[in-house]
Amino acid sequence: MPDTRPIRPGWRRIFRTTTFRFTVISLAICALAASAFLSYIYVATVVEERRRTDQVIAREAENIVNLYRRSGPEAVSARLVDRAERNRAFIYVLTAPNGQKVVGSIDSPPAGSAKPTPTWLNFSLVSPGMAGNSPGRPVRGLQQTLSGGEVLFVGFDVGDDQAFILKIVHALWGAGALVLALGLAAGLQLSRNVSQHLVGLTNVVATVRNGNLSARAGVEGSPDEFHDLAKGLNQMLDRLERSMAAHRHAGDAIAHDLRSPLTRLRARLEVALCDLEAGQGNPEQALSQALEDTDAVLKTFSTVLAIARLQSEGDVPSAMAFDPAPLVSDIADLYEPLCEDKGVQLASQVAEGLTLRGNQEFIAQALANLVDNAVKYTPSGGGIMLRLRSRASGDLEFSVTDTGPGVPDADRSRIVERFVRLEGSRNAPGAGLGLSLVAAVANAHGGRLELAEGPGKIGDHGPGLWAALILPADV
Amino acid sequence: MNILIIEDDIPAAEAMARGLMDGGHACVHAPDGESGLATARAQDFDVIIVDRMLPKILGIDLVETLRREGDQTPVLFLSALGEIHDRVSGLKAGGDDYLVKPYAFAELIARVEALSRRGDMGSVVTQLKVGDLEMDLIGRTVQRQGQEIDLQHREFQLLEFMMRHAGQAVTRTMLLEKVWAYHFDPQTNVIDVHVSRLRSKIDKGFERPMLQTVRGAGYRLDA
Repeated sequence: MPDTRPIRPGWRRIFRTTTFRFTVISLAICALAASAFLSYIYVATVVEERRRTDQVIAREAENIVNLYRRSGPEAVSARLVDRAERNRAFIYVLTAPNGQKVVGSIDSPPAGSAKPTPTWLNFSLVSPGMAGNSPGRPVRGLQQTLSGGEVLFVGFDVGDDQAFILKIVHALWGAGALVLALGLAAGLQLSRNVSQHLVGLTNVVATVRNGNLSARAGVEGSPDEFHDLAKGLNQMLDRLERSMAAHRHAGDAIAHDLRSPLTRLRARLEVALCDLEAGQGNPEQALSQALEDTDAVLKTFSTVLAIARLQSEGDVPSAMAFDPAPLVSDIADLYEPLCEDKGVQLASQVAEGLTLRGNQEFIAQALANLVDNAVKYTPSGGGIMLRLRSRASGDLEFSVTDTGPGVPDADRSRIVERFVRLEGSRNAPGAGLGLSLVAAVANAHGGRLELAEGPGKIGDHGPGLWAALILPADV
Repeated sequence: MNILIIEDDIPAAEAMARGLMDGGHACVHAPDGESGLATARAQDFDVIIVDRMLPKILGIDLVETLRREGDQTPVLFLSALGEIHDRVSGLKAGGDDYLVKPYAFAELIARVEALSRRGDMGSVVTQLKVGDLEMDLIGRTVQRQGQEIDLQHREFQLLEFMMRHAGQAVTRTMLLEKVWAYHFDPQTNVIDVHVSRLRSKIDKGFERPMLQTVRGAGYRLDA
C-alpha cells in the first residue's frame, strides 16, 4: 500500500528538511566568520587598550626609578607627592625597606615584596567612602624593589577602562548571540516557507501517483520559482490528462469501430461454414467475400488509428515548411480523370508563393478526402472547385466546393464525427471516417475544418457543400 | 528468384514462402535477426524480406550491417509500424521498399518482383522498349508501331513505371506510391481511372492490348 496520507508542514518535519540543513550549515559558516570578526575587534580594542595602559604605567615607573637613581629616595618622595596631587589617575606607594610606608595615595598594595621584581599586580581598591559590599575600583600596577631596598608601586585606576572593556565584551557576546539567533530564526522560517511550498507539490505528486490525475498544485502568491514549478507541474498534468483521455478515447473508439465490422465478418464466415456443411452455397465466393471484409476492417482500423494518433499527440510528426501549391495541383491531377468520367467538372484555383508548416502527406490525404467526398456526392453535370488561398488573417485555406445536394445546417457538425453517415449516403462507398480524419489533421496542425453551404441552388444542382481545411501559415 | 525471408512469425513466414514458391521462387527462412544475418552473408539472394521487429538483431540494424559490408541485395521491409517516420527510417537504413502489415499476397509478390528488377535501373537508360511500344526518356515521347502517342505528364510517368516493370504485376498501391508518391489509400479507386485512360491511349486502335488487368493484384504491361 502506498502512503496516501497528505503531508502537513510541521516544526518537527522542518528539522529534517534540506533547507534546514542548508540553514544550519550556512549558520555555522556565518558564526565562524562572525567569531573571527568579533575576535579581531576584541584584540583591536581590549588587548590594545590593556597594552597601552601597561605602557603608560611602565613609563611612569621608569621615570621614578631613574629619579631614584639620580637623586635618592627623598627626591622620589617629593616627586610622588607632587605627581599624586596633579594626576589622580596614578596611584603611588613607596615603602621603606622596613615595610613602613614612606609616601602613597593608598595604604599599601596587597602583595608583599617576596614576589620577583618587577611584578604586575591587579587588585580592587575599596575607598573609604564606598559602600561595604562594593567591589571597589580595579587597579593595575607595577611593583618593584628599588636598589635601596624600598618597594615602589606605580598603579593606575583602570576602572573606566575596565568598564569600557566590559561593555565591548558584552557587545561582542551580544552580537554573536544575535547573529546565531537571527540566523536560526531566518533558517527556520525559510525552511518552513520552502516546506510549505514543497508539501503542496509533494501532495499533488502523491495524489497523482495514486491514480488521480485531476490533482493540481496551488499557484497563488508571488510569481517565484515555486510558482513556476507549480505551474509547470500543472501544465504537465494537464497535458498528461488530456493525452490519457485521448488514449482512452482512442482505445474505446477502436474497440467500438471494429466490433461491428468484425461481427459482420464473423457472421458471414459462420453462415458460409453452415452452408458448406449442408452441402450448399459457394465456399469460394464466401471466402473471397470474407477476404474483402477483412480488408475493409483493416482499412477502417488504420484510419481510426491514424485519427486517434493525431488526436492524442496533438501535433503532427515530420512537420516541415513547404509550398502547398504543388500539393493542391497534384490532388487535382489525381482526381481529374475520375471527375471527367463522372461528368463532373473539376476546376482549381491555386495561390502561389505561400508557405505552410506541416506534414505534407497528412494534408494531402485530408485534401484527397475532401475531394473524394465531393466527387461522391456531386451528380453528373455538376462541378467541383478546389481552391488554395491565403486568408486576410494570414491562415491558409484549402477549400473544396461542390454542387451536390449539400448538408443541412443542423447536420454539418455531426458529419465530422466518426462513422456518421447521413440518410441517403449509406449506399455510397466509404466508412464515414473521411471528415473525421480531415478534422484530426486540421487540429493536429493547429487549424480547423469548416463546413458551409456551397454556391446555392442552380437548377437541379446545389446548394452544395463548402468544406475548408484552414491551417495557420508558417510564420 | 532466390528469396530470403527473415521473419519471427512462423505461420506468417510459411504462408509468405508458400505464396512466393507458388509464384516460382525459391525461399529460405530465418526466424531471427542473428540467423538471418548469417544466412544473408553465407548465400546470394535476389531479394531479402526483413521484418522490422526481430528477436536478437533488429531488422533495421541487420540491413544497416549488410549495407556497411557492401551487400547491395534489394531489401523489402515488412512492418506493423506504418507511420511516416517508421517508413523513412527503414528506407534510410538501406531498405528498398516498405510494406505495412497486413498485406495481400499479390502486393507482396508484386513488390518482391519489382525489387528484383532494380538492378537493371542502375545504369542510365535513355530509352525503354516493350514489344512495339517505345519510350524516349530524354525527348519524353512515346511511340507504338512508330505512331506517336500524346501523353500527359502523369500518364508518361505511369507508363514509364509500367514499362520498367513490364511483364510484372504492379498493384494500385505501388502505382500510388511510386508514381504519385502518396502513401495513403484514396477511398475511391482513382488509380483505375488513370490506368484506363492510359490504356485507351496506348491500346486503342491496336490489335493486341498491352495493358492487362490482373485480377486481385493490379495491372501488368505485356510485350
